[in-house]
Amino acid sequence: MAYMIQATELGKTVTTSAGDLTILKDINLRVVKGESLAITGASGSGKSTLLGLLAGLDVPSAGGVELAEIALNSLDEEGRAKVRADHVGFVFQSFQLLPGLTALENVMLPLELRGDRDAHDQASQYLQRVGLGERLSHYPPQLSGGEQQRVAIARAFACKPDILFADEPTGNLDSTTGHTINDLLFELNAEMGTTLVLITHEERLANRCARQVQLAAGELMISGSAAVE
Amino acid sequence: MLAWHLLWRNWRSGEIKLLAVALALAVTVVSAIALFTDRLEGTLLEQSNSLLGADRLVKSNQAHKKEWEVQAERDDVSYSRVAHFSSMIFAGDEMHLAAVKAVANNYPLRGYIDVSTTPFATDPALIERAQGVPAPGEIWVDSRLLPLLHIELGESLQVGEHELVATKVVVSEPDGSGPFSMMGARIIMNWEDLAKTRVIQPGSRVEYQWLLAGSSSDMNAFMSWLEPQLSDHDEVMDIENAQRRLQGTLQTGRRFLVLAAIMGVLLAGVAIALAARQFAERHVNQVALLKSLGTSSQRIRQLYLVQLLLLATVASLLGLAVGAGLQALIAQIVHNIYQVTMAKATITPFILSLLSGPLALVGFALPSLWFLPKVPPIKVLRQELSVSKGAVGWQIAMASLVLVILVGVFGRDLTLGVTVLAALAVVGVLTGGMAFGLLAVGKKAGAQAGSRWRLAWASIQRRRGASVLQVVVFATAIMLLLTLTIVRTSLIEEWQVKVPENAPNHFLINVAPSEVDDFKQLLADDELKVEPLFPMVRGRLTHIDGEPKPEDTLNREASLTWTGELSEDNEVVAGQWWDTWQRSQLPGVSVEHEVAERLGIELGSQLTFSIGGLIAQAEVASFRSLQWESLRPNFYFIFEPGALDDYAPMYMTSVYLPPEKKQFINTLLTRYPTIVVLELDRIINQIRDIVAQVSDGVGLVLLMVLLGGCLVLIAAVTGSIDARKQEAGLLRALGAPRRLLVGSIWIEFALLGFCAGFIAVVASEALLLGLQVYVFRVPVQPHYFYWLATPIAGALFVSSLGAISCRHSVTTPPATVLREAL
Ligand SMILES: Nc1ncnc2c1ncn2[C@@H]1O[C@H](COP(=O)(O)OP(=O)(O)OP(=O)(O)O)[C@@H](O)[C@H]1O
Ligand SMILES: [Mg+2]
Repeated sequence: MAYMIQATELGKTVTTSAGDLTILKDINLRVVKGESLAITGASGSGKSTLLGLLAGLDVPSAGGVELAEIALNSLDEEGRAKVRADHVGFVFQSFQLLPGLTALENVMLPLELRGDRDAHDQASQYLQRVGLGERLSHYPPQLSGGEQQRVAIARAFACKPDILFADEPTGNLDSTTGHTINDLLFELNAEMGTTLVLITHEERLANRCARQVQLAAGELMISGSAAVE
Repeated sequence: MLAWHLLWRNWRSGEIKLLAVALALAVTVVSAIALFTDRLEGTLLEQSNSLLGADRLVKSNQAHKKEWEVQAERDDVSYSRVAHFSSMIFAGDEMHLAAVKAVANNYPLRGYIDVSTTPFATDPALIERAQGVPAPGEIWVDSRLLPLLHIELGESLQVGEHELVATKVVVSEPDGSGPFSMMGARIIMNWEDLAKTRVIQPGSRVEYQWLLAGSSSDMNAFMSWLEPQLSDHDEVMDIENAQRRLQGTLQTGRRFLVLAAIMGVLLAGVAIALAARQFAERHVNQVALLKSLGTSSQRIRQLYLVQLLLLATVASLLGLAVGAGLQALIAQIVHNIYQVTMAKATITPFILSLLSGPLALVGFALPSLWFLPKVPPIKVLRQELSVSKGAVGWQIAMASLVLVILVGVFGRDLTLGVTVLAALAVVGVLTGGMAFGLLAVGKKAGAQAGSRWRLAWASIQRRRGASVLQVVVFATAIMLLLTLTIVRTSLIEEWQVKVPENAPNHFLINVAPSEVDDFKQLLADDELKVEPLFPMVRGRLTHIDGEPKPEDTLNREASLTWTGELSEDNEVVAGQWWDTWQRSQLPGVSVEHEVAERLGIELGSQLTFSIGGLIAQAEVASFRSLQWESLRPNFYFIFEPGALDDYAPMYMTSVYLPPEKKQFINTLLTRYPTIVVLELDRIINQIRDIVAQVSDGVGLVLLMVLLGGCLVLIAAVTGSIDARKQEAGLLRALGAPRRLLVGSIWIEFALLGFCAGFIAVVASEALLLGLQVYVFRVPVQPHYFYWLATPIAGALFVSSLGAISCRHSVTTPPATVLREAL
């Protein structure tokens, strides 16, 4: 069976002024195509670090990651960028919209970078889909937090990624808004058959995923039903 | 294409505007100054050439040969001709021996004839610049001829056998002091009428001048062809002497303009660097995001480079347009005030200006942006991650390199550039150290102050790095402006000293030895201030130490003199003056040091002169420096007293004649008809005009540098605006009154401005010392006024600027501020 994500013996150690600090160790994880996985854990347990490693944003100190059957260890930064461009989308807790660009331009940006000719049409279509069809020319500071996150979701899905990484997508939102955003996320995910890796501390949200894993002090504890390893 | 989009979006969001303005300003400064100096140089050359009416002329008692014209055309040298002679002019019963000048239709090749229809006109409104020369049948005359002949304009007079109508009076003309001009009133007529007058008969005293003009390379090519063709009767004249008189002034003016340009570019450069830094900081997140979206570092670098190059191109074109406009405006003002039409600019300054934009970008902006593509993608997940911005030393090195290139290529004065740069390096270190020291002291003092003060000090301390940077930047800007102002003032004073009000304005030449005592008496009776009388013989330097002298210098007769006393503006720079010099066998000669250098003459060299066919030898005893601007008789070669007694000298001197004593010339000439008078008022007026032009140019430059300074200040302040907004929002949300916040901002910037002003004044004294001693060679003096004024002005200026730049951070509602900060 082909795994969309496969992490083996993954470890991350950083050097700080107070000595070496091991953030992650011996992480083994496999995610199949179309699966949704929730990563939970206390603050500081290493969730974001793990996400960064799985998505190829950072390099591990031990072990390796295969993303869409490509071994990231064998690639340099440019190669990993290519893999991200081809397969990966992100949704961040802090939205990460460019404040100088309109909603539409924010969604268009990754499409333009890929050289898509119909970036404008595609982008407005996705904004329509997330319910912001009327606000294409608004700038992020003129939008509410929930609306900003919708723009970010439109941006992530507009590229039709194979895998979507989401780091606490509703962490900055109140629970009602968070709810609608989550609904949207799962809806689109199902629609497009995207593999989803979601970080959250909300149990309810984690439970909407097919599988949950928990990080504690840098080590993986399996929870939920489908233990693959 | 995408880069265009991104550039447009960045422009719209205002992130790139300051960078663009700073770039455009740098190009504006470079282009305005480059164009202006280029035109100024062209004008000066034209003006000094207009003394001859040409770049060169061949004078002879015979007309030039037809075949010379063929070669001149081949070499792209244009030519014209003039015949000078004196002739009796008749009008009814009256007659006058006039100095007549018959000119070809394209006369003069350089300069202008100014004419009027009102005799003795002095009002510029009545004077016009002649288009062409008198038409056949017409004649232009000296105003004083009209009363002499009892006629008015429009009446006719007789030249030889031909009747001509006097249509205009001549106010000024090139070569106004022609060979016959002192003998009678001057007249200009058309060459075509010359034959009809039948005044030129075999044996008549006529001087033919063949005028030449062309680019210097064409001219050199042609002259090297022509010279072997010339006979003993032909003499080539150029304007070296006149030019030399203007060169000193020009050189200083040029150096000053270059200095101002360096400072302008430096200021604009600092603004560019600060703006780029700010741009980079705002783009760290954007780059991290682009990377998470899978954009490679290389692609990001390329995207930003293309954007910057596009920006540089647009800004350069804009800056060039503004610079060209500004200098055109100044040229127009100069034209209106001084009736001086400035020469057209050559193509070089345009090219240089356009290149300076991208060059400034590479030197000042790129180093602060270089790290951007290296921002790690993990930054999107870990906001607190700090990103290294590259070494500051590298940035300074790049900036210096670009500055040296700009100054070297465009200013053609590398020494000056390097001097200023070295001074600035010292100044920079000093400023940095002092800024740190002052802040450290302030930490203690601040804690006891009232709450507004405490808030201000807290803000300075919190942004310690930025505060120091701001002080350094403010201090540098103020120092540059201050230095420039002081240098300008002292240079203008210096120029005024160089051309004093009662500088000699007439040369009196050709006084026979037997007339000397009488002549002196005559001058003394009229209470005229006279320079010493110099004996003078004309001679040609032929050999140096037995070898023929180099061919490219001093190819004409020079005036040789002897004197025991050195005049006050001459200074012995090497060797001994006569009182201490040990004579061996040959008599001694003192040589002007620059010509000595060009000729390769050394102390002790033996020089051979040919004086009217006789040979004279002398040994070089000393080198002298002299001030050509002084308009006193100056000589390349001064011999030991008595050394030239055998060569039948004539005497010369210079004298100051106030306008009301101008008629003294008539008395003098009636008594001694052989004395030749050269009117130098015209040259003096030209020098005055040029000094005025140069200082106007300088004023403009100062204005632009000031603009650059403001931009730097704004750039330095806006860098901290985002953080300020957030803090102010927080403080106001916590209930701090706006009054308190505004007050603390005023205090904060006033303190920074005061420190900067103080440092600036110390630093600029240091820089001035270097400049005055090594570059401009003007006397050094402390400037007490500025010691007091600068810190106060700094405090006032910087605090207003800071308050204006920061006004939004305290007036925006706290809610908006907090939301934008998310
Ligand atoms: N480069 C680094 N240098 C030093 N410490 C680091 C580095 N990267 C991560 N850490 C530390 O490792 C720990 C895990 O960080 P991480 O951001 O992965 O936690 P998290 O589980 O995402 O927490 P949260 O739920 O608060 O977002 C933290 O204590 C963090 O400070
Ligand atoms: Mg996290």
